[in-house]
Formats: sequence, structure tokens, C-alpha cells
Amino acid sequence: MDSRGIFIEDTFAEGFGMAAARVVITAAHPKWSRAAALKLTGFATSVIACKCEAAIERELSPDETPDARPGISALVFAMNPEGLKRRLIERIGQAVLTFPTTSCFDGLPAATDRVPVGRALAAFGDKFQSSDVVGGQRYWRVPVMEGEFLLQESFGVQREAVGGGNFLILGEDAPSALAAAEAAVEAMDGMPGIILPFPGGVVRSGSKVGSRGYRSMIASTNDAYCPTLRLATDSALTEGVNSVLEIVIDGLDADVISRAMRAGIEAACRPGVRAISAGNYGGNLGPFRFHLRQIMAGAC
Amino acid sequence: MSSDVVTVSLRAPVSQPLQVEGLTADRVAGLSQCEIAALPAWLGARKARLGDFFDVKGERSDRLRIVGMLTNVLGVAAGMAGGELVIDGDGGRGVARGMTGGLVVVGGDVGVDAARSMIAGTLVVVGHTGPTPGRGSKRGSIVALGGIQVPVTYWYACTYEPPHVRLLLTYLRRRYGLEIDDRMIGGRYRRHVGDAGDPGRGEILEWVA
Repeated sequence: MDSRGIFIEDTFAEGFGMAAARVVITAAHPKWSRAAALKLTGFATSVIACKCEAAIERELSPDETPDARPGISALVFAMNPEGLKRRLIERIGQAVLTFPTTSCFDGLPAATDRVPVGRALAAFGDKFQSSDVVGGQRYWRVPVMEGEFLLQESFGVQREAVGGGNFLILGEDAPSALAAAEAAVEAMDGMPGIILPFPGGVVRSGSKVGSRGYRSMIASTNDAYCPTLRLATDSALTEGVNSVLEIVIDGLDADVISRAMRAGIEAACRPGVRAISAGNYGGNLGPFRFHLRQIMAGAC
Repeated sequence: MSSDVVTVSLRAPVSQPLQVEGLTADRVAGLSQCEIAALPAWLGARKARLGDFFDVKGERSDRLRIVGMLTNVLGVAAGMAGGELVIDGDGGRGVARGMTGGLVVVGGDVGVDAARSMIAGTLVVVGHTGPTPGRGSKRGSIVALGGIQVPVTYWYACTYEPPHVRLLLTYLRRRYGLEIDDRMIGGRYRRHVGDAGDPGRGEILEWVA
């Protein structure tokens, strides 16, 4: 199967279940909400080492935020709701509470599963904190040197979230692979319900589960797709492929990942790309399978 | 069957004090339309029913909207413990007296002793707030948008932009269509704290025009 002359391999990306929250940060000026969101989602590329995966989802206009200020929505993914709660408390406490003029709201108000976050963080107020109920939701007012920090008590949890959506761009050379990856990221940027948790949305060091040489390693380099190892390992690369980049996608459900993969792959199919593939672990990692050819045929 | 909001409309202004009982958002949340209309009221010494003076529409909602000039209606939101009560018009004497929770919003002016002995909750007055607001309050907030004479038992703390007021006023504008000026939503407020307790934790937030 081809897409604009680029070969689409007959394989699938393998996703696994996660718990996700949407954090809405508003501020007096977009530069402050963005700065806080960047810190909130910093060092959150992979649950393996970072305990969560997070990134900015999109910018929000004042009409879209609870307090009519410009804002940012960010998605945070963890392996379960308890882990998600801990990450939210840590990250909001260090990255939003500290930022001038920011307020912090739940972005999944319809979710019935919820985790308490505000009360724990409000304790920073040393018993000077107070709470108000607005529209049926409780908000904490935490006195800080600047004035007050406003934080919602509970955050909705999307239990049907999915991590590990991905596709691989097999390029003739590194510049071509990078240009295709950038085009893919641009096509997916701002799509609601998904994030690309790695810096710039692109991964150069895709991994396989475990290690052939070190027992303690949870993950190690995906040698089948390393062009320098073509003769040293059971390579998956065809002739003419000299650089591979991966796009990793987390989503609030499987459908949004499928849509994002389709948009990203379409954009990545450009001169200098030999093929599109995907990373999977034979179905052993998770229950979600994103078959590239079905996605590109619009069947998903 | 519950309604999104219960609306209680005063048919005609009352010329003498009308005392109502149980006209709170948390109370009507558990009542049918007929039961709301049957809430007790006193016109002077004469016992009556709320439905004798008000049209009632909706039932079993903790969002209560009262339409009319309630200048002579006493006891509105007294002891309210939760929910939302919005008055489209002026409030009478002692609005939200003894309130323990929830939100009361008055689109017009309020008379003397608003939020007296308040324990918790929020009273927003879009118009002018009458004398001795928040007297004896232990906690809770009065947000005064149209002028207020702050009692001497409250002390000035600071002038700032309270983020929860911005959230609250934005919510009221979107949810109830209240005409609230952008300058109030994003404005500065003088924070006064005081009354019962040491230090008092009652709060008055006075919009600075």
C-alpha cells in the first residue's frame, strides 16, 4: 500500500491503557500561562522514567476558559488514577502555584471519575487557605505573596486514555526524515485530545522492551531500526533507508489517536521518505492496535 | 422530575413587610412546585403562603431565581446552606442572614443587615449594599460591586485582583446572563476582614472603580 508514493508497511502500532487528566492554566498574559504549562509538562516524555507523559494540548481563547482569561490546556497521562493524582499534585504545586497570575482548572468537567488535588496543595496556605463553590465545583484560594492562587479541588480522569500510539518515518537520510517528522508534527499540532509527549514531538531513540545485553534494562535501543546496525542485527530496514524517526502519540481515546496518526502520516509522506512503519511488541504490551493500512484507508 | 432552575416571580410589589420562610436554594432543591408555593409567609400578622404573592415555575433544583423588587420581602436566603440563589431586582432587609453555604446574588441593591451572622458562603451585590453588612459574620464573603459602607468592625487588608471573584463573575455572566461589567470581572478589590472572631474571618471585597 502506498500513500503519495510512500510505502505503508503492513504493521500496527501497539497502544496501552492509561489514565489522563486535562489541566487548564490561565494567566493575565499568554506568556505566563504558556511558561507555566511548559514547566508543568517538562520531563514527562515516558512513564518508564518520568512517571507520567505530558505535553501542551492547545492554546485556549478567553471564551474557552472558566475565568475568561487566555489559557493553555495540557494533558497528563499516568498508568493509573492514583499515579495521576500524585503527578498532578507534584507538578501543579511546583509549576503552576509558583507562577505569577496563574489559576488552575480541571479541563474534563464531564468526567465522573475524579481525583482530589486542590485540598492537598491548598495546605501550602498553612490554614489561611479557604474554599468557595462556584457552579457546583469547589475551588481553593491559597494566599501567596503575590495575592491569591486559585485551584480547582478535583480533576476529571479519563480512564479510557491510550498511550503508545506511534509511527516510524523511514528516511533516505537524516534531513529528509527530520523534515517529514516536522511536517507530521505540524499537521497534528493542536488536534484536540492528543499530545506528542517527546520534545518537539519527535523521537530519535525508539526503544524495544528489555535488553539483549543487560538484564536490568527495562528498555533499550530499537536495534532493528538503527541504520548503523544493519549488518549487526536482524534489521527491519530496507535498502536506501539511512535514518528513522518516531512520532509518539498519547490520546484521550483510541479514536483520536487514529485520526492524529492519519493526519501525521499523510503529512510525512513526502520526498526523501522511503516508507512508514510502526512500533509494536507483538501484541504483548497493550490491547490497542493501530493498523497503519486500515488507518490510511480511513477504516478506523 | 427536576428543573434546571426554579423561578419564583413576585406578582406585584408588596407595600408592607412580607416575611418568607424557607426561600433558599437548598430548601427548594427537595420540593415540588406545589410544595414551594406552599412555603409559609406572613404579611404583617396574617399567615399566608408563598404562592399567594409569587408565581412558581420549576421544582427540585438547587438553582433558585427570584424575580421582582423584594425591598419589603424579609427572610430571603435566610440560613441558606448550599446551592445558588439569584435575585433579579433589589433584595430586602437581612438578605442571606445566617447563611452557612452556597451563593446568593442580588442584581440590584440590598437593605440593612445583609449577610448578618453569616457562617460561610458568598453574597454578591451588584447594586448598592445597605448599612451594617456582614454584622456578626464568622466567615463567608460579601462581594460588593455597587458601593458599600464597610462596618468599623472590618479592617482593610489590601487592594488586589481576587482570582475567585473573576471566576465567580464570569460564571454568573455565562450561566445566568447577568450584566456584569468587564471592569468588575477583571478589576481590583479592597479586601476587608473582620467581625466575629479574633482575627475575624468574615470578608468584604469592595470593587474599586
